[in-house]
Amino acid sequence: VSDTGAGGRRLLRNLNSLLDVSKALALELDVDSLLAVILQKAAGVMDAEMSSIFIHDEAGQRLLVVSGDLGKGKVAIPLGVGIAGHVAVTGQVANVSDAYQDPRFNPEIDKRTGFRTRAVLCAPLFSHKGRLIGVIQVLNKRGGGAFSAEDETLLAAFASHAGVALDRAQLVESALEKERLEEALRVAHEIQMGMLPRHPPSAGGLDLVAALRPARSVGGDLYDFFERSGRTWFALGDVSGKGVGAALFMAVAKTLFRAHATSEASPARVMAKLNEGLSLDNERAMFVTFFAGSLDPESGEIEFCNGGHNPPFLVRASGAVTPLPQAAGCALGIIPGFAFETERLRLDPGDALFLYTDGITEAMNEREEQYSGERLVRRLEALAGRAAQDVLSGVLEDVDAFVGSAAPSDDLTVMVLRRPAS
Amino acid sequence: MEILEARRDGVLVLELAGRIDSTTAEVLEKAFLERLRNGDARLVVGMGGVDYISSAGLRVFLMLARKLAEARGSLVLCALPPAVRQVFDLAGFSGLFSMAADRAQALSLLPGRPPSA
Repeated sequence: VSDTGAGGRRLLRNLNSLLDVSKALALELDVDSLLAVILQKAAGVMDAEMSSIFIHDEAGQRLLVVSGDLGKGKVAIPLGVGIAGHVAVTGQVANVSDAYQDPRFNPEIDKRTGFRTRAVLCAPLFSHKGRLIGVIQVLNKRGGGAFSAEDETLLAAFASHAGVALDRAQLVESALEKERLEEALRVAHEIQMGMLPRHPPSAGGLDLVAALRPARSVGGDLYDFFERSGRTWFALGDVSGKGVGAALFMAVAKTLFRAHATSEASPARVMAKLNEGLSLDNERAMFVTFFAGSLDPESGEIEFCNGGHNPPFLVRASGAVTPLPQAAGCALGIIPGFAFETERLRLDPGDALFLYTDGITEAMNEREEQYSGERLVRRLEALAGRAAQDVLSGVLEDVDAFVGSAAPSDDLTVMVLRRPAS
Repeated sequence: MEILEARRDGVLVLELAGRIDSTTAEVLEKAFLERLRNGDARLVVGMGGVDYISSAGLRVFLMLARKLAEARGSLVLCALPPAVRQVFDLAGFSGLFSMAADRAQALSLLPGRPPSA
């Protein structure tokens, strides 16, 4: 058998196994399964005792080791360290005949696995756009000796297939992960919005509307209203912080309010119960500023209790806009046993009570200016005497116009209760 | 938000500046927890440079006061700008904190050195 014949057969065998690999890799979209296939095929095609992959962690400037012995990502090496780290930096194939004679070699992994590395052949993995995906390494040519120049070419060809396949699988994985997260948040948003009551009580012609807009998918603002023995109960609150943590606390506050407001006699008693419930096991010291009241639609008399919330505005039909006195109470969840007191006021025909969270007054435009309480008062003066829906829309439109294209910075909630003009 | 750290007679003095909103509140919470883990239990927090504090920021101070109370430590806040003080007042939590006009007064308000074990 001539040399040319042997060389030709080897080339054919190599091409066939590459074709094989390319097919196998094209079928795998799952990163972990793909890594397993690459490891197995690399050792097979290269006729090596062992193979490992080093995945490039761009954020951490390191390589995460994947091998049969070490599992995935349990060992990390900094870029530039070891033969694989060197290949990651240079982007060139490295062929080392005796690892222990090479100053770049890091014997740490041998110590962990008990494997004895001799020959090392190592090639970079790139995406088709040339982004470094990682490094592939085969160890110890079967039958001993060093890897040949032909092996270098073969591993480089193998690596170009594996790099593209890995890149694609990683993209698919992160897209799926993002989709799962978005789906979870969308469901959370729907559940949270579903906790808000939809049909305002209208006994005695009471005109009541409310709106809540979370800055993110979920938020910590809440409102509630319902009718009980001829009175309309209402509440509005703002949990410290934003996002999922605030949303969970909001759900507890909302549930406890409903439970206690359907049995306790006065807003102060409801607040006290709510405060006790929220103070239990509140490790993170979260709190909710909360305003609760009950209105007699016949007389316009309101009993209320303010738990550390920004005072609502009383919008008289005449156009006078005044904040209620600052809360005598405190926000709920922090001081168990606090003695809340019920206060009273009266809505005359055409008067409205405007409740809001600081997402309104602290709404920021692109110049980082706040909408402010002054602007809100001027707007309410202009809207005085109008239907509750007009007041609500009038304020939200003004806030939107002010904020312009700036991203919403906080959850934003408004409630308007108006006694009809006689 | 910025945190400047100094030490006076075994008291940790942190000077805060900038906005304490829901993003920076997390940074502040980590910074406080780290100091507590290092064994600091006597704290003065200077708020003179704070432009704004949200309810998320207020929560961090409540948590700090609670942890220090558990550790038999002490906390004094000082130099609160009116807008910052108003956030504490509005939520009804000012009474939970010992507050001083400036750093010197804050240091004098701290109870004496705890008896060494």
